[in-house]
Amino acid sequence: MIELQNITKRYPENRDALSHLNLTLEPGEMAFLTGPSGAGKSTLLKLIAAIERPTRGQIFINRKNITRIPKRKIPALRRHMGIVFQDHHLLYDRNVFDNVSLPLQIAGYAQADINRRARAALDKVALLDKEHVMPITLSGGEKQRVGIARAVVNKPAILLADEPTGNLDPDLSAEIMQLFAEFNQVGVTVLIASHDLDLITRLGKRIVRLRDGKCVDTQDSNNNQYYEIMN
Amino acid sequence: MAKAKQPQPLARPDVITRLRAYGRDHLRGLVFSLGKLYRQPFATTLTLLMVAVALALPACLYVLLNNLQAVTHKWEDAGQITLFLKINTNEDAIKKLRSRFEDHPKIETVEYVPADEALKEFRARSEFGQLLKGLQDNPLPPTLILTPAASAKDTNSLNQLVNDFRSFSNVEYVQLDMQWLQRLQAITDIVRRAISIIGAMLAISVLLVVGNSIRLDIENRREEIEVTKLIGATDRFIRRPFLYGGMWYGLLGGIIALLLVLIVLLVIKRPTQNLVGLYNSNFQLIFPSFRQSIVLVTSSIGLGLFGSWLAVSRHITKIEPT
Repeated sequence: MIELQNITKRYPENRDALSHLNLTLEPGEMAFLTGPSGAGKSTLLKLIAAIERPTRGQIFINRKNITRIPKRKIPALRRHMGIVFQDHHLLYDRNVFDNVSLPLQIAGYAQADINRRARAALDKVALLDKEHVMPITLSGGEKQRVGIARAVVNKPAILLADEPTGNLDPDLSAEIMQLFAEFNQVGVTVLIASHDLDLITRLGKRIVRLRDGKCVDTQDSNNNQYYEIMN
Repeated sequence: MAKAKQPQPLARPDVITRLRAYGRDHLRGLVFSLGKLYRQPFATTLTLLMVAVALALPACLYVLLNNLQAVTHKWEDAGQITLFLKINTNEDAIKKLRSRFEDHPKIETVEYVPADEALKEFRARSEFGQLLKGLQDNPLPPTLILTPAASAKDTNSLNQLVNDFRSFSNVEYVQLDMQWLQRLQAITDIVRRAISIIGAMLAISVLLVVGNSIRLDIENRREEIEVTKLIGATDRFIRRPFLYGGMWYGLLGGIIALLLVLIVLLVIKRPTQNLVGLYNSNFQLIFPSFRQSIVLVTSSIGLGLFGSWLAVSRHITKIEPT
């Protein structure tokens, strides 16, 4: 579903944020991306969402090469992905329902479908009772759940998240991660950047470790258990 | 590894649904952008006033010029051509000439003043009447006073007529006392051009004012634009409310400009009536017609749209999520 081949990303006047990195996620797979800050986790997610372009290498999404995707095709690409951010990126001039339904408005769905899908997504993150509330009044965990509802509202095949639990306490973080696991259960390919090693090892999914722009270690769920025992 | 299940993606909406959604987005952009203006009353008022004043100035000048021309047009009605005939022209020749002018399509009326009558009148009216007593012959020529038809009242046709009549054999001298009117017309031509130039410059300033407001609006909503781009919005989708914003600036600014013009006319209405009263004229101040008002407001809308388009096409593509 996601394939990065020999990716190098160099920012101007900087060392390589990523260098010669290879990573493949199968359809329906869930993986965590971890490593110290500056290891290139965010850069990797940005390359997949075509926010940044690689300096060298090839990127395939659903077998399509998006390495040099023209600008006008980027909106269509992003409609097949849900992206969750650490700081939610909600729009504070409209209520929760309008935030969640925005991707459907953009894609041009009928109003009845929009209402149905947006409520279903809000129900999934247990915020159906807050649909008319303005986001400013929500707690951090609730805002993050609104962000997730917005990311999944158009049933994307890929869900990307950059430190989605970065500002949350451990209980809420676990709750959020559980939510991602549930989406993965219905077949969504999920890639989450997180440095919360305790939490992500407990989930028993594949973990990809980055250091200095390189993949230093990737464990799948089987030897994860071994990792857990060792700790 | 979980390979088996693939999520069932939402079906892409069909063409009809997307078309309806397109209409819905337009309507939403229209209402949403108006709401934005309403929520920033101070900035909106400032921009609208700048637009309105910039448009009202040339519009006022234009209306006043129209009024001036209407006044001079009335004076042109008085324009008559006086033909002084040769002193010894006999009655037959005069009769022929008269009937010729009476049949002339560009002449409305012909008035004949015989030489003796002219002399009588001169004696009665002029202090120099006594002087004439010393003369044996009547030094005054017979005169024909022609009133041109309404279709021949512009300066070009009048000059044409004057030139034609000069070549008539019994005509000594043709007089058209309209030179000052011609000068006035030349001046109004200059003023008209000046108004066009001023109008063009102020139209550019409307573009800049609207463009700048929209640019600030785009800057203020940079984060929102980035987020919507991240969730798959096209540039066109993002552009729409800003373009409607420019349209609203144009529409509302144009209406205020029209009101300003009307206020100016109402303010000068009474003094003008006093003035024309002094000239025993029944001239009425001409207000802009419905058509002219529509032209003012639609060109204002056009300027607003164009101004916002300039800002939008420059700035929205530049904002990319980072």
